[in-house]
Formats: sequence, structure tokens, C-alpha cells
Amino acid sequence: MSNALERTNESSQDVTRRYLLGRGAGVGLGAMALSVLNGEACNGQVAATDKLVGTHFAPKAKRVIFLTQSGGPSQIELYDQKSGLARMAGKELPASVRNGQRLTAMTAGKKQLVMPAHSTFRRHGESGATVSDWLPHIGAIADELCFVKSMTTDQINHAPAMTRFLTGHHLPGRPSIGSWFSYGLGSSNRDLPEFLVLLSKMKRGSDQPLYDHYWGSGFLPSVYQGVKLRSAKDPVLYLRDPKGLPRHLRRKMLDGLGSLNQVRHEQTGDPEIETRIKQYEMAYRMQASVPELTDVSDEPESTFELYGPDSRRPGSYAANCILARRLAERGVRFTQLFHPDWDHHSRLRSWCTARCRDTDQASAALVLDLKQRGLLEDTLVIWGGEFGRGVAGQGKWNSPEGGRDHHPRCYTIWMAGGGVKSGTTYGATDDFSYNVAENPVHVRDLHATVMHLMGINHEQFSYRFQGLDFRLTGVEGARVVHDILA
Amino acid sequence: MTMKFCLLTMVLVFAAIGDKDVAADEVDFNRDIRPIISDNCFACHGFDKDARKGDLRLDQRAAVTEDRGGYSVIVPGKPEESVLLERVSSSDPDLLMPPSDSHKKPLGQKSIETLTEWIRQGAPWGEHWSFVRPQRPTVPKDASHAIDHLVRQGLIEHRRDLASQAATHTLIRRLSFDLTGLPPDVELVVNFPQTPAEQDWDDLVTQLLASPHFGERMAMWWLDGARYSDTDGFQSDSTRTNWPWRDWVVDSFNANKPFDEFTIEQFAGDLLPDASPEQILATCFHRNHMNNGEGGRNPEESRVDYVLDRVNTTGTLFLGLTLGCTQCHDHKFDPISQRDYYSLTAYFNSIDETGAAGGRAKPYLKYKSSYAQRAVDQAAELVKQTESHLAAMQKQADKEFVPWLLKQVVRAKRGFRPWTVVIPERMATTEGYKLRLESNGIIASSPAAFPQDDFVITLAKPELDRISGLRLEVFPHSSHTDGKYSFSETGEFILTNVKLLLRKRGNSQIQEVALAFAVADVNGVGVDSSYKTVRETLDDDPRKGWTTRTKPSDVPHTAVFALEEPLVLSHDEELDIVLMQRSLAPRELMGQFRLSVTDQRGAAVRSLKPMPLELLAKLNDANLKSDAVESNIDGSLRKQLFSQFLEGHAAWKEAKRRNDLAKSQLNSAKKSAGDQSVMVLGDRKEPRNTYVLERGVWNKHGDEVSRGVLPAVLKRSAEDVATRLELGRWIVSKENPLTARVITNQVWQLFFGAGLVRTPADFGLQGESPTHPELLDWLAVEFMESGWDVKHLVRTIVTSQTYRQDSSVSAELLELDPMNRLLARGTRFRLPSWMIRDAALKASGLLNDAAGGSPVFPYQPPGVWQDQFMGRFVYRPSIGQAQYRRTLYAFWRRTSAPTFLFDSAMRRTCEVVPRRTNTPLHALTLLNDTTSLEAARTLSDAAIVASPKDLPKRFEFLMMRVLSRMPTADEAARVLLRQYAVAKDYYDEHPDEAEALTTVGQLASPNEEVVADVAATMLLANLLLNLDEGITHE
Repeated sequence: MSNALERTNESSQDVTRRYLLGRGAGVGLGAMALSVLNGEACNGQVAATDKLVGTHFAPKAKRVIFLTQSGGPSQIELYDQKSGLARMAGKELPASVRNGQRLTAMTAGKKQLVMPAHSTFRRHGESGATVSDWLPHIGAIADELCFVKSMTTDQINHAPAMTRFLTGHHLPGRPSIGSWFSYGLGSSNRDLPEFLVLLSKMKRGSDQPLYDHYWGSGFLPSVYQGVKLRSAKDPVLYLRDPKGLPRHLRRKMLDGLGSLNQVRHEQTGDPEIETRIKQYEMAYRMQASVPELTDVSDEPESTFELYGPDSRRPGSYAANCILARRLAERGVRFTQLFHPDWDHHSRLRSWCTARCRDTDQASAALVLDLKQRGLLEDTLVIWGGEFGRGVAGQGKWNSPEGGRDHHPRCYTIWMAGGGVKSGTTYGATDDFSYNVAENPVHVRDLHATVMHLMGINHEQFSYRFQGLDFRLTGVEGARVVHDILA
Repeated sequence: MTMKFCLLTMVLVFAAIGDKDVAADEVDFNRDIRPIISDNCFACHGFDKDARKGDLRLDQRAAVTEDRGGYSVIVPGKPEESVLLERVSSSDPDLLMPPSDSHKKPLGQKSIETLTEWIRQGAPWGEHWSFVRPQRPTVPKDASHAIDHLVRQGLIEHRRDLASQAATHTLIRRLSFDLTGLPPDVELVVNFPQTPAEQDWDDLVTQLLASPHFGERMAMWWLDGARYSDTDGFQSDSTRTNWPWRDWVVDSFNANKPFDEFTIEQFAGDLLPDASPEQILATCFHRNHMNNGEGGRNPEESRVDYVLDRVNTTGTLFLGLTLGCTQCHDHKFDPISQRDYYSLTAYFNSIDETGAAGGRAKPYLKYKSSYAQRAVDQAAELVKQTESHLAAMQKQADKEFVPWLLKQVVRAKRGFRPWTVVIPERMATTEGYKLRLESNGIIASSPAAFPQDDFVITLAKPELDRISGLRLEVFPHSSHTDGKYSFSETGEFILTNVKLLLRKRGNSQIQEVALAFAVADVNGVGVDSSYKTVRETLDDDPRKGWTTRTKPSDVPHTAVFALEEPLVLSHDEELDIVLMQRSLAPRELMGQFRLSVTDQRGAAVRSLKPMPLELLAKLNDANLKSDAVESNIDGSLRKQLFSQFLEGHAAWKEAKRRNDLAKSQLNSAKKSAGDQSVMVLGDRKEPRNTYVLERGVWNKHGDEVSRGVLPAVLKRSAEDVATRLELGRWIVSKENPLTARVITNQVWQLFFGAGLVRTPADFGLQGESPTHPELLDWLAVEFMESGWDVKHLVRTIVTSQTYRQDSSVSAELLELDPMNRLLARGTRFRLPSWMIRDAALKASGLLNDAAGGSPVFPYQPPGVWQDQFMGRFVYRPSIGQAQYRRTLYAFWRRTSAPTFLFDSAMRRTCEVVPRRTNTPLHALTLLNDTTSLEAARTLSDAAIVASPKDLPKRFEFLMMRVLSRMPTADEAARVLLRQYAVAKDYYDEHPDEAEALTTVGQLASPNEEVVADVAATMLLANLLLNLDEGITHE
């Protein structure tokens, strides 16, 4: 069997693919890197099947829902309980623990005084995982989750760290993880893009804008970039026909357009025209499929009860969680939610709890909902942000106004479904939740693991751009965390 | 091992055009051998000494052939003794190279045969082609055109010749798009000779090169490479005013500034003797990088990033080298060390900059643009127009005011009630506080232990027709702590957020109703001083809110909230008023409060003063006699009433909105006409020391290095290239083997869709070899010897027969050469998205082709910036003629590129590889973008004026405008006429729909008699503007 992913070693693959697809392959969108090489493209049926093709080995997960918490949620308040901190409250962090860790310009030069968690914790379920009381719903499903408490990164500011977390490199310009999958695996839904992005609608101006390179395609063709689903009249930009143009006239117009384009194709022989005709048809289908997706009036009351009161408000994180489940049902490969404003430099108790209320019930509901629909086993859910927060108080350690600065050395994320071991906790930090004490998982390792779950060997999945072979996991080495695989 | 037919075909096809059949031929090291060993061996046996394994390097002939203790990797002439061949074809996995853990495939049979043949021929080595100075190849004197001669050389072995010339109108379009980025005028096409002579083409090229649009077209290429943007990028994404540099680029291309000067000024205009302001302005090139002003960011880290970005940009744009690879380690493939890299950074390391962003990114040049006044004049004219329109609307409103006033008088006489107390349908809390309704609509809470809670008061349809404002009264009570407002320790209350949620019966979703404004009788200061004013309750931030602490605590306090738009509640709707009290101060929740609503808008809900109607009601009856009512109301009250009336007057409001926009446009135009701060280069007094940065980390200093250029490219002593100015000269030295080739290749790419080197950003060992090496060299030498004359280079390319070829392709040729590496046909490729927008503007007649000045704001769907920045930036499309400027002048927010440019360069780092993809999102953009629709509408108007009755003539008009050609009989009859007829029938039946469709952009709908005709023609224009032919370089 020729290895699907090795295809990327061919030079000028875009043109190649376009050429292939144009020549009676019949696959317009979701032009699949992998399937093409598996020869599937020849029968023209790939886009319509739900079969994962072209992976290196059988995948555990067919799709990903990435619940991105932007700003750096505090592992100390939310997941990584350290009861010993109370004794150290207000004392200076031992230099041996800090060990030269860089601080941001905000707290550099200030004394690092230990601030114990503002929250309380309890153990949940058979797994006995400790979760903050600020996240009661997530706590309640702890037995479904796999906590990784030893996440680590090497970037201390938001944009570089989030860029690292989502593209593998700290500077913009590389493809995002979703576009890698979109490129590698394609879609199993012919009416929707394979990579969709949903941003929570917030009233407050966020200090960490969500840059479009977080879901960009980098040097991959732009067809693989994430498509932003907006909570606006046009969920996808330019989706709606103008007022006064009924659907049947648009249909008629596209028929005319297709017919003239067909003539041009016969005259010029350019296969690109055939692709264009298909893309216009896909656009027409999306005009129906996207509103059908975002119109949740067919959801029963019980859905909204499960996801919480905020889920009734379009554009909220909770409402987006419902959409994420609908996307999973429709076979969309990669769905990424972004919830901003986890950057709690002050007033954790009011600020952090607000973000917990936004996300707790709906995140848990999504996992439960996927499970009850039989989708969890092949859907990987990831909850996490770009880094964690430090044990030292920022501002006054002993005041409710205290907050925490960024901390790249360790933080917690969780995953569920899609081939990860449920009811587990992997890795541990030291007594200060400052350094990883065992089983570090670098963001690169996370990428490698997610790819593994999706059936891809990260070392063999590369894209040649301007003479160099690029991988999501880069050149520094990454390992699949086998211990958390089911 | 299965591989289906189509794939197999593809691979064979590439074999045919990609490589030569080597068996019979002489093996060429650069062409045949280096790609194999570079790809498969250099990662571990290449230039990078740290990555080198087994102390073996394969990138030098001496190392490869040396005696390694009884054996050599290669023994020239003796394949059987060469260990290399043994290892690459070994069946022992432990011996096989490349090893399996490198994730490289074993070499194919063909590669091994090629290597064998090469060794047999003596293993001749060669320097990598791009590091050797280009020599002009000989072209026979009788060759009509050097380009054609050199392209034909490549066609001979395939027994092919150039394709025939493209149709005249196609070629005119091609030239027009390529040289100006715009489609040709219809007159030009019509008046062009049917069988043009060489002179006719020459004249056309001359004319296009002289057009001011030539510079704009070329600038778009340069701006993508220079990562030009109007904002910093990153967290705060502040706006910068570097646009005078953009105009400098346009001017330079138009003035045909020699490319070496163009380069030197951008590298070091500030260091030229008696530098002019424009020469200093040029150095903005090296300041176009992103700026990161993120809060926790160390400025020095940012500064180092900028320095590296300058080197990387220089590498990509001028040298075609992937220098970024050497940031962390020696280059794996190219002979460039990490030390070389940091020596280059030394030229840029002493700029007098701090790494700060926003308005603190010195050094700046104060520069006044000569292009700015035009925008001021145009904006002033627009203010005049909108003002007179507003005045007219005001006059009309004035007339409608009296009848309205009389109605209000009647209402006032019945007794006016400014506020209607809310009697809740339901009351609830999130955490567990208990609420109860007392008399007079007062709601009381009971003491409880929860530190925070939300009170949710549900309101069913009130007596009012609409709700425009909400009032909250908070009462002191003897049962509260110290008789104040709450049961908390302090007796104070803090309201953190107020939300209105609308729910409809039978609909599971709720909708948030926006509040625009809040005002209170007093604002106090909390113990945590971030709790202060009532305005802080309008966002989602629980860290801020309203308190009356520090103010009198024994009187009721009042706050009023204005809705953004009045809300009409229907019978099946309910409104949740959510009072969030989520402060850090435990249990500071209101003990007694009351809510009221009003239907009054404007000033009535923006202050706590008595409402105008309240005042009216207080006038005594005598003053309200209907015939004299107006004269009996005093001036100030009348004014208040009139302004309240205007709040509800849609036409006036729209006129006001446009007038406000025009005024703010004028303001910003005036600002742009003054001194602009442009980021430029300038050295600090004390140069900084430069170090190798270990693993590329900004503060991990390794060895100190001094300035020096890349020896592998063009060796020069440190003294010879001691300054940034000398670095610029080194770049454009005629001995530099790369620059002329790299730039020529990018220019070629503009007109052929792909370069002669298909990896325009990598001319190094991993890049592709040129499809036509001799042609590339000929052009590069010609370019240099012409004195780096850009217009000459362009003219040379576009007057060749190679350029003029028909772009249609036979199935057979497509099979043989799918990527047009032979250049045996013209290339067909989609126009860049910016050109598609400009073309629609030009074809419709909307284009405002003014040059230069501060950026404009083309249409973008509402909410794009707000979504991404959670409301911090709001995009306001330009109004008036400013809307129809060329895309070059569109404001570029780095973190959110213009949405209508569906696959543009990102302008974050230097990009020279064109992005060109084909997705449904493009289709949607071209179908539904406002520019597209307004262009269609304008085209429709023009077509109807040109041919009011004769439909075939009208279609001809449209086709000429959009495609520069007449429709065929088949197109007209089978498609256009039918399309029109169906649409016309529909819009005849549905004039409202026609009106809706034709009301677009800044255009009002046409009058009733013609609206169906306009709508049907507009839809046809929309179709034509979406045709593949119209958006493609043919």
C-alpha cells in the first residue's frame, strides 16, 4: 500500500491535485490530500462517504471539538489542587522552585508571594479527580474525562503562546491544527466546510483578540482555513443573497453562470473552470446547509436545559456548544470554539468565576450529549488554553483583588472521548503547581497525540513549502502520550 | 502496492516534464544529482555541523571522495566501489540510507540509476546554480525575441512550437490587467486595429506603462512582499500612519526609479548624503513588520523580533533564501551558518528603536503627503452635500412636527406618566436569594448567605407600545444594616451588570437587547475602587459596577438605562431584566428596589431631568389651546420636544448619520493632510552589540558577532560592507548572483502566474531549479545591464510571443505539461482578489481612480471587527466617492484582513508566493459582496441608458464592459435573454422585491416604472461579474 501521507513529498502538489481533481475526479471541495493518494479520488465518491480514508492507521477519533479557552485559565483555581499552599500563603516562592523562570513585564522585579487558591475543591466520581467547586458540572462528569495536569509550553505572552498552541510555532505563518486536519483528512460532509470556528460573543472588549491566524491555513491553500461561523444574520460571510433575490432566481442565475462557464471550459480546456463551477454549486448548497445548521428551533427543550440557560442566547459559548454537537452529527472534521477573557490578572473570585459560569455547564453538557448520542467514542473533545497561571499573587496576594500572572511551565487541560482514557489524570506538578513533577506534555506532544488519535503519524505528515518539509510538530521532537490512550 | 490509474498517470507525466531522461544523456549535477542528495542526505550530512551524523558531509566533493580508512563514499568512475550506492540500496534495514527513523522513503530505482550513471561519468561536482553569477546566454542575432528563442529551445525536444497568439481583445485585457491591474476601456478595445501590427502592440504597452495605474499595480506586489499594513498586529493592533510610504512605492514605480536605487533607499535612505525626506521615507520598508505591544511583553524581546524579521524579509524578497532557518541553527541545506545570519542582523540591530508599539515606535519621520489635500477637498464637498440634504430633511421634519406635537398635547392633557412601574410576571435568582413583591412595585430581598447573586425580573407586555428606557430605584430601609441598602456588613450595594433578555413563547432561544447608555443620580466609590459608576454595568465585566458608597446613604438612589433601539414587546414575548450583583464584596445586594419603564426616547432616557412631555403636561390648560399651541410653548421646551421628535424620524436620522460620517471623514482627511508620523530607520548613537542567539531565543546570547554579509552569496570583507548603506549596495551589486534573478522571477510570476523558478522564496538547494535557466539568466543580466530598469524589464517580457500565446490548452498538452513548465501556451489563472474588486469598479464606472492619500474603507459585512475584538474596533465603510477607490488604498488591519480579499497575502511576514485557491467562500463573496452588487446595479443603470429598449444591444454593452468582447449568438439567445426574461417576469410581478434588490450600497432604488427592468438587468450583470472568464487572466 503506498502511503497516503507520503504524497506530500511530491513537488507542486497543489497544481497536481487541482489537475487530478479537475480531471473527472469529481471531488471539488474537501479535496483530500490523503484520499487522493489512496486512489479514492478516481471514483469520485470520496466527499460523500463517511469513511475516513488515507490515515496511517485506524483512527480512534473521526472528528475533533476543540474548546479553546483563551487567556490562560488558572489551573490553580480550577483543577490542580495544592492543599499545602495555605501554609505558604504570603511567603516568598522558594528560589529553588522558581529556578529562573521568566516573568512577564507585568510582575518582573516584584516579590513572588504565594497566593493559595481562591476556590475550594472536591473529589468526583470513581476516578476521584479533584475539580474546583467553580466548575461543578465538569466535576460531575470527571469520570468521562482525561485530565492532563502536566501541560507545558515555552511562551509566556498570549499571542505567541496561543500561536504555538494552535500552529506549533510561536510566530504567525504556519497552518493551524484544524487546517492540517482539513488538509489531511478532508470532510465527510459535502455541504459544509471541514473546519469551522465559533467565537463566543462577549460584550466586553477583550484584551486578547482572537487573531484569524489561529485558524488560518498558513502556507497551506486557503481552502483549508477555518471558516468562522458567526452569530450574525450571516453565519458565514456573504452567505445570504441580497434582499429581493429569491432562491429560485439565484438558482436560475447559477444555471446560467454554469452554462457560460461550461462553454468557456470547452473553449479553453482549463480544468480549473470545472472546479469553479463545483464551488459555486457548493456555495449554493451552503446557503441552505448553514442556516439549517444554525437554526436550532428543531432542538427540544431538553437540549437547552442540558446546556444551561445561556445556551438560549445565540452566540454564547453554551449556544456554540450546541452547534458543535450539531456539527459533529453532520460529520464536520474539526470544530473549534473560542472563549476569550481567561486572563485573570486580578479579582479571580469575580472574574474567573464569571468565565466558569459561561463555560462549565455547557462544556460538560457537550460531553454528555455526545455520549448519549453515541458520538463521543469517535469525537475527541479538548478543553484548554495557551498556558496556565502562576502560584504567586499579582497585586495583593491576601486581598480579593489579587490575581495571577501568566505561567507557561505547567497547566491543565482535559480531553474526552475519541480514544482517550476516561476517568484518568495524567502527569503531576510540584507542590506549588509551578513545575511539572512527572510526565511533562509539551504542546507538541499534545499535537502528536491528537494526530495519533486521528490516525496520523505526525512524523510522516508534512507539507513541502518552498523547498522545506513542514510538520505541525516541528523539528524539535514530539511524542505521542500513549499512557492516556484508551 | 496498489495505486490507481489516475495517480500513476500523474507521476509519469511529471517524470516527462519534471526530470530529463538521464539514461541516455549526460548527468548534470545541479539538475539531476543535487536535488536527490539534498532532499535525502543533507539533513544529517549537510552544512549544519551540529546536526551532522557520523562526521560525514555530502555537500562537498572533497568530503565525499576522501579516503575514510579504506573506503570512500564515492569513487569517481567506479560505481561498484562507491559505498554510497551500497548504502542507499541495501536490504539490511540497519545499513539502509536514509534510515527509516528519518521518515524519509528509501531512494527510488530511478534515483539510484541516476546516481550510478553520474558516478560512472566521474561524479563531476558543480556549484549550486543560483550562487553562480548569471551569464547572458548567446542568442542568435536573427532571433526575433530573446525570450522566444530561449523558450523555443526547450520546446524543440518535444517537437512543439509556441502556441498561436491570443485573440486581440484577450491580449488587450491581459496587458491591461498585467500593467495596470484594471480591465481596458471599452473604447480602447473597439478602436484597436482588427489585425494589429507590432507597432500597435508597442504603442499600447507604452501607453499602459505610462499610466499612473502602472505604479499602483506594481505596488500591490511590493506591498505583499514588504508586509505593509495600516496596523501593528498583535494585541492592541494600533493604527500606524505609514501610508505615505505606500505612495512612495507607487511613485517610484511610476517614475521608473531604477531598482538598485529603489532598493538602496529602502535599506538606507537615511544614510545617503543630504538625504531628502523621500529617501528617509523609503526606509519605512524595514519598519513594516508587526509590532507587539502586549502587556506582559518585554520590549527588548519585541525589538529582537523586528531585527530578525528584517533579515528574513531581505532573505525572502531579495535573495530568495530561507534565512529564517538559520535563526536557530546552521542551514541544513544551504551554505549559510547561524553566525552568518546574526552577522546580517548586526546591520539592523542599532536602529534607534525600543521595541515599543503603538505611538511609541520611534524613530519617526514627520511627513506631509502631497496626496492628502485631494481627500480633504472631496470630503468637504461631501459634507456640503450631506448638509444640504440634512437641512432639507430637517425642513420636512419641521412640517411634520406640528401634527405630532398636537398629538402629544392631547396625551399630556390626559395626564402624562413618565415612568410605568414594572409589576413582575415572575421573579427569580440564580444562587438562592428570595425576592418578594411589596406595595408600589417595590421588590424586597431577604438576607441570605450567598456572597453574590443575580436578580431576574420578568416583565410581560406592559401598557406601553414600546420600551425605550428602564429606571432602577434603590431604597434604604430600616431593616438593612445601618438603615442603608443591603443586609451585608457594610449596608452598601454593588450592581455589576444589567442585561435585558427577550424571550418568545414557543421559541427556545433568547435574544439579548442592547443597552446604549446609563446614568445615575450619584456614583460612589467602592472599597475596591474599580466599583464606581453606573456605566460600568453595561459590559460583561464583573470587576466593575455601580455603587453609591461614599454618597448619602439615607435617600433612594436612581439609575436610568437607555435601550439602543426601542423594543416593541408582543403578546407572546417576555423580557427578563437581569440585575447581576457579582462583586467581590460579599452580600452587597440590593435589599429594596423598584423597576420602571418608559416609551420616551432621546434626552428623556439619557438624563434624570424631567422629560420634555412631563414639562408639557405641566403647562396649564390655557397654554395648550390647540390653535396657539406652538407659540405658547417656550423656545427651550420646543427644542427639546423637536429633538425628541427627530429621534423617531427615520429619513432625518439617515441624513444625520450620513452627515455625521461625512464630517468625521473630513476630520480624518484633514488630520491626514497634516504631519504624519511614519516609522523609518535611523541609527542610535551608541551601536548595540550583536550576538548569535542560541536557538534563536532573544536573550540567550552566544558569541558576539560584527556586521558581515553572506560569504556564500557574494564574499566581501567586513570593511567593504560596514554600514547599512553598503549592505543595500551589496544586495544590488551586479556581482550578487541572486537579487536580479530573484526579482526578475517575481516580475515574471506577475504576468505568467508562476515564476521560472517555481519556488520564488527559495533559490537555495531545496528550491526548484528554473524551468528555463538560460532565460532566467538572460533576463537577470538584461535587467542589470539596462540599469535595473523595471519598465524595460516589463516591456521586454510582455512584447514576447511567449507572453502573447493563447492560453487555451488541448487535452494532449495538458496531459504532457499540466503545470505549463514548457511555456508552450499562455497561462490561465484567476486574477488576484484585489484586481477582481478593482475590475468590477472599473467595469461599472464606479471607480474613483484618485491616487494616494490616507486609507479608505471599502464595504465589509457589519460586525467583522467587533466579533474579533469583542467590540473594541468598529468598521465604518467610507461614504461618497471615497468608497470607490482602488483596493490598494483599502485600510489593512493586520489581525483581520479585508474580508473581500478572499485569498490575499496575509501581510504578517514577507510573502512572494501567490495565494490562489478556489473555494465556495470566493463564490459567495463575488455573488453577494456589496461592492459586487453595487457594481452590478450601476452597470445595469448604464446599460439601460445606453440601450433603453433594444435588449441585444444592451447585452452587448454589458459584455463589452465586463469581458471586453461581444456575446456570441448562442450566449445571447440561449443564456442572456432567457436569464433576463425570467428575472424580468418575476420583478414585474414583485416590484417590492425589485426595489429591495436595487437598493444597494449608496444607491436608492430607481423609480417604479423602470425598477423591474433595472433589477433584471442587474441580476444579469451580477452573473457576468461572476463569470470565470471575467475574473481570470486569460
